[in-house]
Amino acid sequence: MTRWAIVADLNRCVGCQTCTSACKHANATAPGIQWRKVLDFEVGEFPDVSRAFLPVGCMHCDEPPCLDVCPSTATGKRDDGIVTIDYDKCIGCAYCAVACPYQARFRVDAPSSAYKGRKMRHEVLREDPTRIGVAQKCTLCIDRIDDGMAQGLTPGIDAEATPACVNSCIAGALYMGDVDDQDSNVSKLLKENRHFRMHEDLGTGPGIYYLYDGEIGDSSAIEPAPMVAEPAGLAAVSSQLQTSWDWRAAANFTFGGTGTGLFAATVLAATFAPMLWVAQFLAMAFVGVGLFCVWLEIGRPWRFLNVFLHAKRSWMTREAIAAGAFFAFGGLGWLLGSVPLAVLAVLSGFVFLYCQGRMLNAAKGIPAWRQKGVVSLLFSTGLTEGAGLLAILVAITGFEGSDLRIITLMLIGLVALRHILWRSYRTALGEVGAPLGTFNALDRGYLNLSTVSQTVILVLLVVGLFNPIALIVAAALAVVTGWAFKFTLITKAAFNQGFAIERMPARGAGKSATGIKPGWTTA
Amino acid sequence: MNKPANPTKQSVSSYCYQCVAGPDLLKVDMADGVPYQVRPNGSAEEIHPAGGKVCVKAFGLIQKTNNPNRILTPMMRTNPKKGRNEDPKFEPVSWDVALGEIAKKLNKAQADGLNDASGFPRVAASFGGGGTPTAYMGTFPAFLAAWGSVDMSFGSGQGVKCYHSEHLYGELWHRAFTVSPDTPLVNLVLSFGANVEASGGVCGVRRHADARARGVKRIQVEPHLSVTGACSADWVPIKPKTDPAFMFALVHVLLHEIPRTRLDIAFLKRRTSSPYLIAPNGFYLRDPASKKPLIWDLKSSGTVPYDTADTDPALEGDFSVSGLEVGPDDVEWAHGEVTCQPAFGHLVAHVKPYSPEWAADICDVKAARIRDTAMQYIDHACVGETIEIDGKTLPFRPVAISLGKTVCNGWGGYECVWARTLMACLIGGLEVPGGTLGTTVRLNRPADNRWSSVVEGPDGFMNYPMNPTKKGEWHESSASRHAHQTLVPLAANSPWSQALGPTHLAWMMQKEGLDHLPVPTQPDVWFVYRTNPAISFWDTDAVSDVMANFPFTVCFAYTHDETNHMADILLPECTDLEGLQLIRIGGSKYVEQFWEHQGFALRDPASKPQGEAKDFTWIATELANRTGLLEKYNSAINKGAAGIRLFGQGYDFSLDPEQVHSVEDIWNNTCRAASAEITDGEESQGLDYFRENGFRTKPFPKEQWYLYPAMVEKDLRFELPYQERLLRIGQELGARLHERGITWWDRQLMEYEAMPHWQDLQGLWETALSDAYNIKIGDYPFWLLTARSMQYSWGGNAGIQMIHEVAGNVAGHGGVLMNPAAAKTLGLAEGDQVEISSPSGKTRGAVLLRQGIRPDTLLMIGQFDHWKTPFAKDLKTPSMNNLTPMMLELTDATGSGSDLVKVAVKKIGAAS
Repeated sequence: MTRWAIVADLNRCVGCQTCTSACKHANATAPGIQWRKVLDFEVGEFPDVSRAFLPVGCMHCDEPPCLDVCPSTATGKRDDGIVTIDYDKCIGCAYCAVACPYQARFRVDAPSSAYKGRKMRHEVLREDPTRIGVAQKCTLCIDRIDDGMAQGLTPGIDAEATPACVNSCIAGALYMGDVDDQDSNVSKLLKENRHFRMHEDLGTGPGIYYLYDGEIGDSSAIEPAPMVAEPAGLAAVSSQLQTSWDWRAAANFTFGGTGTGLFAATVLAATFAPMLWVAQFLAMAFVGVGLFCVWLEIGRPWRFLNVFLHAKRSWMTREAIAAGAFFAFGGLGWLLGSVPLAVLAVLSGFVFLYCQGRMLNAAKGIPAWRQKGVVSLLFSTGLTEGAGLLAILVAITGFEGSDLRIITLMLIGLVALRHILWRSYRTALGEVGAPLGTFNALDRGYLNLSTVSQTVILVLLVVGLFNPIALIVAAALAVVTGWAFKFTLITKAAFNQGFAIERMPARGAGKSATGIKPGWTTA
Repeated sequence: MNKPANPTKQSVSSYCYQCVAGPDLLKVDMADGVPYQVRPNGSAEEIHPAGGKVCVKAFGLIQKTNNPNRILTPMMRTNPKKGRNEDPKFEPVSWDVALGEIAKKLNKAQADGLNDASGFPRVAASFGGGGTPTAYMGTFPAFLAAWGSVDMSFGSGQGVKCYHSEHLYGELWHRAFTVSPDTPLVNLVLSFGANVEASGGVCGVRRHADARARGVKRIQVEPHLSVTGACSADWVPIKPKTDPAFMFALVHVLLHEIPRTRLDIAFLKRRTSSPYLIAPNGFYLRDPASKKPLIWDLKSSGTVPYDTADTDPALEGDFSVSGLEVGPDDVEWAHGEVTCQPAFGHLVAHVKPYSPEWAADICDVKAARIRDTAMQYIDHACVGETIEIDGKTLPFRPVAISLGKTVCNGWGGYECVWARTLMACLIGGLEVPGGTLGTTVRLNRPADNRWSSVVEGPDGFMNYPMNPTKKGEWHESSASRHAHQTLVPLAANSPWSQALGPTHLAWMMQKEGLDHLPVPTQPDVWFVYRTNPAISFWDTDAVSDVMANFPFTVCFAYTHDETNHMADILLPECTDLEGLQLIRIGGSKYVEQFWEHQGFALRDPASKPQGEAKDFTWIATELANRTGLLEKYNSAINKGAAGIRLFGQGYDFSLDPEQVHSVEDIWNNTCRAASAEITDGEESQGLDYFRENGFRTKPFPKEQWYLYPAMVEKDLRFELPYQERLLRIGQELGARLHERGITWWDRQLMEYEAMPHWQDLQGLWETALSDAYNIKIGDYPFWLLTARSMQYSWGGNAGIQMIHEVAGNVAGHGGVLMNPAAAKTLGLAEGDQVEISSPSGKTRGAVLLRQGIRPDTLLMIGQFDHWKTPFAKDLKTPSMNNLTPMMLELTDATGSGSDLVKVAVKKIGAAS
């Protein structure tokens, strides 16, 4: 087999950005988009400081998170390890962008020019409409590799078959070759030099290897780079708040959870009272609005049907299928007044809700999402919001036959469960660590799932067993805090993985040193 | 604009010579005639020191060519008032009108006499980029040669932004306009602020990367952790401008703390002035008959002339001797039985006070670290070892010292370059494999071959074309407005000398003349090309005011900028990828350009000229024709004024002097001459050959990287450690100036020491600023420095979006860099907007925090503060240039100053 990989010798790299520029030329990337770039790291405190440069880009991972999440199968992986994107299939959902822990994926929604509004002739010449509104990233100059190999050339050896960044490197720091070939240039380098891969612990098997020391023979394992919450001057390489998914994506999780929860709560309540059919309609409307919002966010909205193409691995595809079932059963049940269909809709809604949780959880690029416990937490808050909304509806409409007390008790149980799951999630996140911004966002204020707010809700719910006004307030707070949590989780706590350098390289006769994971902390 | 279907693709060969570390040989890909991609020229891999790679700056050339902000028609100013706040009201005109207007001014200047009443050329020209514009200005040098008298003293960065002391003293001592370690062989480099990873071009970067890969140790001594510091094994955060103390302490350790046997005694005896006896007045004791310097021969226990065969010169000891001493203006003292020491003995005594303990407080570096650095130097020196180069056995001394900007210009520069070169001499490491090498010559001749420039001079040293200082020979006035021939003997008088004079004096004197120098007149015509002194010089407000008063300025204009805002005529010339030119490549050139090949490379247009832009050669020809200089112009081209002589042994491709020749014809003949030159007249392929192949080279002997073999062959010595010649010209210069009543240069005269003493440079700066601006220096607590950026330096590319984008990945761009602890004391956080003020100016920008900078130091990378250049003016990037005053007090004897000033910081807004 062949496995193309990049080896970057950090002892050689000077951070000149020639590879960045060559990539921009070779691939005609838009202003501000850098498929390849070199990061500038600094470690230590004056006067004991070291600085190093780290080329990054798509890692063409062994287990690419972007591949698993892609709902359209636009992202592919070739046998030679190159991760590809089919621009004609991609719906531009940017799920891959949040799933990538290397911040390697981009979406450009409109043609742009270096000098605003005034396109240069080479920009016109190289404009590629197929790349608008879809995911894009380093291709490893796949055309050069394929064309070169077709001519009998060897990638990594012959310039015509080698990625532009490697070709351009003025320091001789970048190499490309087949790591499955034990005699290849890169295999030899890896045998002769100590090296690391970024975020190795995530299990992605990244395809960029960093040589940091020529000392061989010392096989001691590399300690994980220490987290430094607020390193001065490292904002550019630290974790950043993701911008791929905004309020529109958050609305899908918010309303989708509430809607499916409401539907389930309504059907459950019907076991001891008549069915509140209007609530079912409202539940489906919630889910529908959520999906509409996320449709507004995708780069190629009219290709939305491609979302169904990857049921085998993508939780987004599965969510879409579950949504279809939910609407089919729920809608039909509502039209026919069929309880069995409504039950099927509930089950579909549960699947939908579960898929939403798994969807977030599969986004390896966002530590707050990939944290164990996020699935049950999303599930529980969806049910809680649904139960809360049902309680409000029943309390306000005075729907005859419903036992408000049972609904209230159910809500008390769900709020308590949700809080327990939140505590569990937050504790676990604090133990493994996450970007500082994530903790700041999750812990800020009171309109969240914290003990204070949830205790207030529980107290009000207990009072609500006897006082409908208290119940309405408590239920509303249960819903709103759930929404606020999800909105925060998607848009404010969703700091990406950021970059890290496991070891600072030995420079010449110098020694390698401990690296840094900037912007991270435990709490 | 519609996108063409199935564009026709082709590529051409070109080069990038935007910076002094070029040229890089490249390929430009085009589709339907539109250049869209730059890439390395793979066919240059075998002959180029960096495997044919191309610097990041070259990738900006596509946007540079297609930039919508380009000026694409000749333009004429319609608002006669000039100034930053005046709208020039440029109106498009035809080339005929524009050139006609210029010719009218030039013809009047010719009629009035080439020089004005003050003796200054009526025509002035300023070019940027350390001479690199010649790689783009086609035959314009031939036009200037034909014109005859041109003032190039209005600097655009020379002297204040260069390695000035290195240039002048380097050429004097070892034909080293620039100095480099022999990086492929060196094992230890002490780098004082040298920023080769940012300014060494692809050759510098590659050579040092290769050296690191084989385990070289580089110790970077500088106040901030630059890109080069990042790539070094060790960083010593020294106080700004205290490098001489550190280096003197290194010399002290070598001379006072280790056995003499660890030094290269043979080298010191045979290849330096170390054994020359010093007479009581500080000049060499000479043989009365031959007037040759005397040495004490240990074999014969007596004095003999330095070049006597079979001697064993003493380096130390007091000797009772007699002889002749020749002082300034040939004054002679006859000495009988006086006690004299060899120069080396004087050196030992001279550096005795400069111990590591003495330097520690000055530099804020522990004495043990300084001492350890010196010991590492000697431990790596391999004294006594040899290596074979091109079949010849040469000394092998794999240690070297690099000096950066601000370290080796302005006050203190002499001390540093002297100590650096002396350190090399002490271990026999000057101009030998592994050691400290010069790379090119600019003041000596011939400029294309360092070995040929090794010409015997007085006292066993190489000759040097000093500006005369003896009575009757001294130039009371100079052919330049900065008085380089009058004030700076070391500046010499080559075509490069004006650029190496005290260029800021030219600007300063436009404001206020200096006593007893000719009245500082304005040039009738000022040409400006590839430079923007209104941004790139110091005290930019003052410089802008001066140029606003020039009567007629012609700018070869790429976009509008801060300098051509003051112009009368803007001429859009073909930019880098549009013009046609052939240049010399290879041999040993600036910085780290050590090739094993030499020859020629073509800049083949990758694009038709945009708009009405014209090839520079066409412009030069037109100007020559319109000023009646066609014959002289063509003759100048024939003689090689455009880079290559068109005739030689067995070939003659000279242009008919009487005819107007097309751009293609001129360069075709040049290509043919180049082919003939490189093949010793055997072949004569023209433009088509170069278009097909891009370049043509032949081997360059690696042995010629080293001056040592040429010195041995001619039995010459490096003029170190003792500077008798400088002592003499300094005293002569002082006498001449005083005879003329000039006393304002007295501080500079103090630099002419036989061996430099340490001086408190920080105190010198603080006192000068305090006195000049009547301020409390304590109100300006930070030292402000600058550093080069590989993405920007020399490129004139602040208006190129892609360069800005990629440079943003390198920390320090776009704001003022400061230490977090220092920021905390001022209540500043990352991104806060601050005003940085020096006693003479202010700038604004964002705070950038890094641990890799001293708490007492600030750094602003590059040169910005643009207010007119499109795109750049919106960057809001601070620059130290307008904060740095032009002051006589801060001008050294070579006429240069340092990028250094004290500043205060004030918060004006929070991070956005």
